[in-house]
Order: sequence, then structure tokens, then C-alpha cells
Amino acid sequence: MLALVAPSILFMALFFVAPLGLFLFRSVDNSEVPGWLPRTVAALSSWKGAGLPEEPAFRALAEDLAALSGSTALPLLGRRLNHDVPGFRTLITATGNRVDPARPGSMREQIIGIDPRWGEPLYWQTIRRERHALTWFYLLSALDLRYGAGGGLERAPAESAIFLDLLGRTLGISGVVTLICVLLGFPVAATMAGSSPARANALLIFVLVPFWTSLLVRSTAWVILLQNQGVVNQALVGLGVLEKPVPLIFNRLGLYIAMVHVLLPFMVLPLYSVLKGIRPELMRAAASLGAAPWTAFLRIYVPQALPGLVAGASLVFVLALGYYITPALVGGPGDQMIGYFIAYFTNTAVNWGMASALGTILLLVVTLIYVALGRLAGLERLAVR
Amino acid sequence: MPKPSCLRIAIVVALIAWSGLAHAQTKLVVGNAGGSSADAERKVFYGPFAAANKIQIQEESFNQELAKLRSQVETGNLIWDMVSTTAINVATGCEEGLLEKIDWSKYMDPKVFQEVGGLSECGVPYLFVSGGLTYDGNRIKDGGPKTWADFWNVTKWPGKRGMLYRAEQTFEVALMADGVPPPKAMEVLAAPGGVDRALKKLEALKPNIHWWKNGAESITLLSSGEVAMAYAWNGRVASANKTNNLNLKMELGAGHVSGCQYWAIMKGSKNKELAIKLIQYAVSAQPQADFVRVISYGPANRDAYALLTEQEKATLPAKHMDKASLQLGKLYLGFWLANGDALLQRFVKFAAQ
Repeated sequence: MLALVAPSILFMALFFVAPLGLFLFRSVDNSEVPGWLPRTVAALSSWKGAGLPEEPAFRALAEDLAALSGSTALPLLGRRLNHDVPGFRTLITATGNRVDPARPGSMREQIIGIDPRWGEPLYWQTIRRERHALTWFYLLSALDLRYGAGGGLERAPAESAIFLDLLGRTLGISGVVTLICVLLGFPVAATMAGSSPARANALLIFVLVPFWTSLLVRSTAWVILLQNQGVVNQALVGLGVLEKPVPLIFNRLGLYIAMVHVLLPFMVLPLYSVLKGIRPELMRAAASLGAAPWTAFLRIYVPQALPGLVAGASLVFVLALGYYITPALVGGPGDQMIGYFIAYFTNTAVNWGMASALGTILLLVVTLIYVALGRLAGLERLAVR
Repeated sequence: MPKPSCLRIAIVVALIAWSGLAHAQTKLVVGNAGGSSADAERKVFYGPFAAANKIQIQEESFNQELAKLRSQVETGNLIWDMVSTTAINVATGCEEGLLEKIDWSKYMDPKVFQEVGGLSECGVPYLFVSGGLTYDGNRIKDGGPKTWADFWNVTKWPGKRGMLYRAEQTFEVALMADGVPPPKAMEVLAAPGGVDRALKKLEALKPNIHWWKNGAESITLLSSGEVAMAYAWNGRVASANKTNNLNLKMELGAGHVSGCQYWAIMKGSKNKELAIKLIQYAVSAQPQADFVRVISYGPANRDAYALLTEQEKATLPAKHMDKASLQLGKLYLGFWLANGDALLQRFVKFAAQ
């Protein structure tokens, strides 16, 4: 038995657990700072963080930076520290390219002479704070928290505190999309389950068409249909139903329409496969025992459909969480989802710590939701018998 | 049936031999933005160069994700030989060792690129793109908007305004609307309070702004009448006018945000010499002028202007260079490299409220 499952376990470990683990580790990985500034980190560990550090710290920094000068490590270290304090990048590269630890005299004077920002405690405090191989910085930033001047935690300033909003919005949009999919998908799946195979197949094709269309084409089609000068609005205005066009797209409504359109098959298909297995005799038996149609539906049909509903809803919800291209194309500025920033930090900003921290928090929240739902709804009882 | 199987074997052998030959030909892989600008590059640069040198040029989609350069160079698994990229990526890629440092002055005259900021250590500018105030001449007929202050005036010209969903460029434009002379926009933005000033100006227009995220969108918004005016890029505007028979008008005199697209060579490319040759060809005067005729982005090589007619020059910003906020130089690069991520967050938050 073990021999039979071993390949799949190995596959999971290699291609799922290991990359996921590495990815999660990125959110706390801070090897750059202690790795590239070993002397500075050692010199700063005895410093309390008030005022400016002493001459040995300046000398250590000069030696560390001079050792990196000319290599690509210097700008990469700058990029890393720039995540904490904007402007750190140029400070590091400019200092690294000009500092000369062999020159006699005070290192402190030389370094502050190169860039007066070294005379501010902020930059030294940042290096001191990031001196360990692991950091909470990314995870805290992803929760709109940061270290204050005194070293304690504080909320990020309102103007740039953005990630909690994004997280809430992402969960909210996904939840609403899932709900709409349940409401729309259930009747469709039930009709298909009750139809002859030929008719069920025809219906299935309608459900699957959006599946086969490219994302860009689909989104653009919705724009053409729903924009103010679009087909729907112009027709309604022309018919006299509306006086002036109603905004149907580039807002939350348009986003729901486009996302439900894409995700509905993920609701309908698992639901259909479960509903098909419900024996129609059971409903007739309930009726013959005196149950009203509504009672029979709620007490006989729905409980048997639940595994399909839960499977479909989970699929839709999880897929919806990762959306970011559709919101960009058909949503408004208030409909951006967290995936937009994960993609931005991964691709454009090359800030993988931040991308990974956002992903980690999303993963944690979703896991919590599932655990909570499982407890509440007793999901374990829903296993298909 | 021996006959058909013999034939089949022969076909297979021929196919293998043919594909072998095709592979024997040197292949240069270019990462570029795709779309209408890549079409123009293929027609004017890649096509003639590949034919003349009997090589194959393969294009791959590159949406300016720095991560794509980084992952290829760091894993030592180069897929591309060269890329078409922005000033910011050239600067970062050069510093971080992702692009080849080349003494370009050995291959071309640096003077002809002076007006567009000159050669960079790793990159050669090849097109000059300007973003500016654009409107549909069929909808706004007489007395169209002349300044960015007009763009902000929704009482005189009602309707939505299309603007780029990005801090970079949009902040510069906001400052121009607030009365900052375009060449000073970057300086004011980088000074203390500059960002707040730009956001405050944007705040006033925000209820009327329709944010666009890619260049094609800016054109459809204008041509469908969804917005009355938009910030748009000149090559897009000119090629939409040409191919879709539109009458979009650009008011570059209002002030514009302009910068170059650069060629750069991936660090460690085996086809470095060939890539240099292609770049040398692409930035020489004649192909540069031909490029303008196809897509209407400005040439980087000033000698190309001599080969253009007055009509062809009309959509180019050459006459309005005193009204440019340039996306180059130490101030621009330093500011956006240091603050880009933080300002994007702030911008997204601002736009969502």
C-alpha cells in the first residue's frame, strides 16, 4: 500500500510542499543585511540605538561597503534596505563607491562628508534592526505595521496603509462572487441533473463556453457591452428606459459580472456531478410521506447537495482570491485586489520578501476561514458517502 | 506496403534535415513590448537586418518586469540576447549586473543622441515617446483645450478624463496643471511637499478621472467618447489616427512627459557582437526615419529628422522640447528608484478612496 502512494507523496513533497515552504521562508528571509554587512552588524549589536553610533561602527561600515564596491552586491544591498527606508539605495551605492577605509582620519567625518544622511540615526537604526538573519519587516508591512522611532510597533501612516484594506476587499469580493455563483449555479446544475442526457450536454456547453475564451477577449467583450457608450447602455437610452447611461462597468458591479461569468463553471460542474447522483425517488418518497415540496427540497435535496455546494463554493472562492487582471480591466480604482500587489512586488519591484509576505498572510487567512467554517458547518460530516 | 513507408521515412528525414539547417542559422532572441511598437520594430529593424545577415530574430514578450532579467541572469539560463526597455530598467539592470556594459561610442556617434539624454552605460536610446494631452477632434471641434489647466476644467469641457493608473508620469502632469513649468516638474516633485502638491491637484479632478492601465485602453476610451480628454502616448495616437481613421489631436504645447525606450544586451549573451550590430543598424538615421513613418514615435537619432517631411514631423515633440518633463537624468532616476514602490502604494490608496 505504501509503495503505491509513495510516488504521489514524493511528488507532492517535491513540487508542492518544498516550493511553498521556500516561498513562505522568503517572507522572513533577511540574509542580505548580516551577510553583506558583517562588521557593521557586529559593531552595532552593542549600540543601544540612541543618537549616532561610535567611530568603530563607522569604520566597520566603511570596510563592509568598500569590500562590496564594484560588485553587484552593493546595489542589491541598497535595494534591500530601500524597502525599509526610501532613498537608502542611493545612499548605499554612493557611499560604497566613494568610501576609502585606508584614508587616515575619522571615518565618521569621511562618511558623513560623502552623504550627510549618515548623520541621521534613522539609517543606523534601520541597519541595527535588520541585523538578524530573519526579519519580521515584510510580514509587518503586509499588515500595515512598522517600527516606530522608539523601536516599538506602530500603524503605518494612513496615506500608505493599504494592505489590510486590500486583504479585506479581496476576501469581500471573493465572498460575494461565491455567493452569486451559488445562487446562479444551483438552479442551472439542478436543471441539468433533471434533464435528459442530450439536453444536459447542451446546457453543459453553454456553461463551458466562457471557459474556452481567452481572459482578455472576455474582459474586452464586457467593456464593449457595458461601458457608457456601450451596447447595453445605448440600447436602454435609445428605448427610453434610461435617460442617461448608467455606469455598469469600471466599478464593483462590472467586476462581479465579469468574475461570475468566468467562475460559474467551477460552481456548476462539481454541483452537477453531485446532484446527478441524488435519486429522484427520494423526493417522491418524501412527498408521499406528506412533506410539502419546499420541506422536501430543504430537508431531503439540499443536505444531499451540500458536498457539491461546498466543493463548488471552495473552488470559486479560492480561485477568486487570486484574481488581479480582471479587476484591473473591468474594475474601478476601488476594486483592485491583493494579487495586483503580489504581482507588482514579484515582477516589477523585485521585492520578493513583500510578495511572499502578502501571499503568506492571504494563505493564513484563508486557512483560518476554512478551519472556522469546517468547525461551524461540520464539514467532516459532508464527506461523500 | 513498402512504398508509402519509404515515402514517410524520406519525409521524416527531410524534415529533420531541414529543421537541423534552420537551427544551424544563428538565432537572436529579443524581448520587447509586443503590440504595435513590436510590429513596427519587426518591419523596420528586425526584418531587414535578419535578411541582410542571414540570421533569425525571435521575439519574446517582455512587459518590463525586471524580475525576468534577474531570473535569467542569476540562473545562468539566458533566454534572451537583448531587450527593449525603459530608462529605469537600464539604470537598475546596469547597476545590478543584469545588462552588458558596453563602450557604445566605439560603434556610434554619441553626439546624435544628445537631445534625448545621450547613450547610457548599458543602453542605447532608439525611440522617443511623449505622453500628452489628447482629445478627439471630431467631438471637441473648435477651441479645444490648450493647457493642463484646461484639462482640469470640467465646467468648460464636461466629461471624464483618462489618466494613467501609475504615480510616475501622472504626478508630473498634475504639477504641470498646478502651474509648474514642465521642465521643472521633476524638480518640484522631488522637493519636499512635491508629492503632496501633485496629489492635492489630482484630488480636485479625481471624481472625473477614468484611470487606464495600458496604452490601447487610452485610445478606445477616447474614440468611444467614454472620456472627453486623456493623457496618451504619441505613437499610439498617431497610429490609431492612421489605421482606424480617427481624428485624435495632441496638444504637446501644454507640456508633456517624454522619455526613451532603450536597447540593451543581456549580461553574458553569446550573441553580443551580433546584438551590437543590430542595435548599430537600428539607431542609424535611415531605419530611424522609417520607424517614425510606421509608428510615429520620435527618433532618438537626431539625424533622422533630416529625412522626414514636415507632415511626418508634425506629430513629433521636436518643436515642443521646451515643454518637456524628461524621464531621464539623475534626478528622475534617483527619485523613482528610491520612492517608486512607496509612491505606488500611496497612489493606489489615493485612487481607491
